[in-house]
Amino acid sequence: MATLQLKNIVKSFGPTTVLKDVNLAIEDKEFVVFVGPSGCGKTTLLRIVAGLEEATQGSILIDDEDVSYAHPIDRGISMVFQSYALYPHLTVYENIAFPLRVAKRPEAEIKERVNKAASILQLEERLQFKPGQLSGGQRQRVAIGRSIVRNPKVFLFDEPLSNLDAALRGDMRVELSKLHRSLDTTMIYVTHDQVEAMTMADRIVVLNGGVVEQCGTPMDLYLHPRNKFVAGFIGHPKMNFIPAIVSRVEAHMLHVQLKDGGTMSIAIETTGLMAGDNVDVGIRPEHVQLDESGPISMEVDVLERLGASSIAYGKVQSNTTFCASLPGLADIKENSTINLSVKPEDAYVFNSKGEAQKRLTVLELA
Amino acid sequence: MTTASGELLPYEGASGGSTKQKQGMLKGLLRSQAFFAWMLIAPAALYLMMIVAWPLVETIRLSFTNANIGGESYIGTANYEKLLSSRKFSQTVSRTFYWMFLSVSFKIIFGLIGATLLNAAIPGRAIFRMLVMPPWIVPIAIGCFGWLWLYNGHFGIISGMLQYVGILDGPFEFLAYKNSAFYSAVITDVWVGLPMVTIFMLAAMQGVPRDLYEAAYVDGASRWYRFRRITIPQILPVIITMSILSIIWTFNSFEIIWILTEGGPRSATTTLIIDTYKMAIANFKFGQGAARAVIVVSLLSVFSLVYLFALHQIKKRFGAV
Repeated sequence: MATLQLKNIVKSFGPTTVLKDVNLAIEDKEFVVFVGPSGCGKTTLLRIVAGLEEATQGSILIDDEDVSYAHPIDRGISMVFQSYALYPHLTVYENIAFPLRVAKRPEAEIKERVNKAASILQLEERLQFKPGQLSGGQRQRVAIGRSIVRNPKVFLFDEPLSNLDAALRGDMRVELSKLHRSLDTTMIYVTHDQVEAMTMADRIVVLNGGVVEQCGTPMDLYLHPRNKFVAGFIGHPKMNFIPAIVSRVEAHMLHVQLKDGGTMSIAIETTGLMAGDNVDVGIRPEHVQLDESGPISMEVDVLERLGASSIAYGKVQSNTTFCASLPGLADIKENSTINLSVKPEDAYVFNSKGEAQKRLTVLELA
Repeated sequence: MTTASGELLPYEGASGGSTKQKQGMLKGLLRSQAFFAWMLIAPAALYLMMIVAWPLVETIRLSFTNANIGGESYIGTANYEKLLSSRKFSQTVSRTFYWMFLSVSFKIIFGLIGATLLNAAIPGRAIFRMLVMPPWIVPIAIGCFGWLWLYNGHFGIISGMLQYVGILDGPFEFLAYKNSAFYSAVITDVWVGLPMVTIFMLAAMQGVPRDLYEAAYVDGASRWYRFRRITIPQILPVIITMSILSIIWTFNSFEIIWILTEGGPRSATTTLIIDTYKMAIANFKFGQGAARAVIVVSLLSVFSLVYLFALHQIKKRFGAV
């Protein structure tokens, strides 16, 4: 059982404020992912939770107990570092046993707990190896093993997969999700990779410029991003934004004139919008269809055939870059112009401040 | 062999060879990388032969003679026999090892402590780092003359201070008594050698990834525990290297003792190297001096071999030094 609350966390390094009033409540056994671009403050926030950095203001509560000034060991957390931070001179066994040796646990208990962790992580055969003799994935598992043996209340992961190759990263994502299920503890995970966030998280916290932009389940963030930043960050390939002008407003339907010249009708909450307003229409690459009479005219510069899908990169007439994810066998060529359409309920609209217009629920759409 | 295009050719010398083939081999040799490499190091190699190999051979030859200012004649191993049976010489050898043990131990221990302090996040760290350097920057001779003054009983600050705090009743000439002269020389040798050891250890400490300390901190390891279980093993290759190099340098250390005491009083600070110099240069007994020099070189060779072996082991275990 471990809940974690961050209250009004501010962190400054000299004149630079990297975290601005972060508030967050993490439930017991939740897998929360902090995601955001480089320099958004996600690692700093994790380090504050770990006790490696002290917050300039605000407090951290673990199980309703204020641990803002407590030593990491008294917070009941353990951390897996981006570099794994394995001790190169110690064997895998000794690396995993390290926290127990620090805690002066009896030898029999150390052996039992190390062996248990090793069996969970399939490291039994590697216990006498040195970290230098292991592959990236195995090193990663040793680092996790060192966390597991302590039975912490909260696991912290700082970009643990960023040093692995793409295939291994995919495998480790699955393993970490399984690990979360089997250990059944609270985990906080930092990454800049939205795919990791989407695939593993119970809840994602999107950070940008030291501010929490949005916090929600992966699908919540995908379907109902609060603003342009979240919409652009969550989803792969990234969402396209086309500038447009509102031409007519109805209760649940917005008619816009795209800067390209085409017109679109979007099923969306129209509160706060008036004819003549400048907006951005957000279109996810996977939501477009080839349509000769479609309103979006795109010049294809590069075409990536991925088998299951074909990703077309190019520009729309307003000189805005555009990406379309089309069927694998779509009949398109590079350096050609294609027309695309989007279902009215699939598009997103962002007002001039970059805030998202509320999208309609399934019930409203019906 | 390969052609310019990388195509494999049969080895030309394999068929025995006509004149044409032999010419080809010569050309090949001239063009080979090994020949080019030899050409490049030849001047340095010749120079080394002149200044190292020849004097070494000459020293070995002299050690089997009774060479002195009046002439020389072959006397076999008499010089060595005399040395090995001499009580004074065995005292010099043990004194040299004791001198080496004390000086190297202090350099390594204080170097480790100094590097740790300089590596700590203390205010004004940069100033302290600068303050470590003078003993290294100041020419040894000048530094030693400074110490001569410090050790002086009448004008020296050490004697003065000790009198001021009441430890000494009157002026004390540190270099005039056997024990104090020996330990004074050790202190000066440590002073000269410490900066280098400290700087090397500091560099090694700074190379230890910060993450390792943070991981240990999160796991609850105390400062001392982190130092013991992370810093020391991580910088062990440098500690070993610096220890062996310090042994060699301290064993060889001549000018410090010579300037401070010239090996006195009553041989209290006479190490092997001082003894050799005195015998060969001051007493003009070249043959006996050469025998001592050969023993010094042999011991240094052993140390160097240990160093090379350690370096090899370190590379094997840790990947790099």
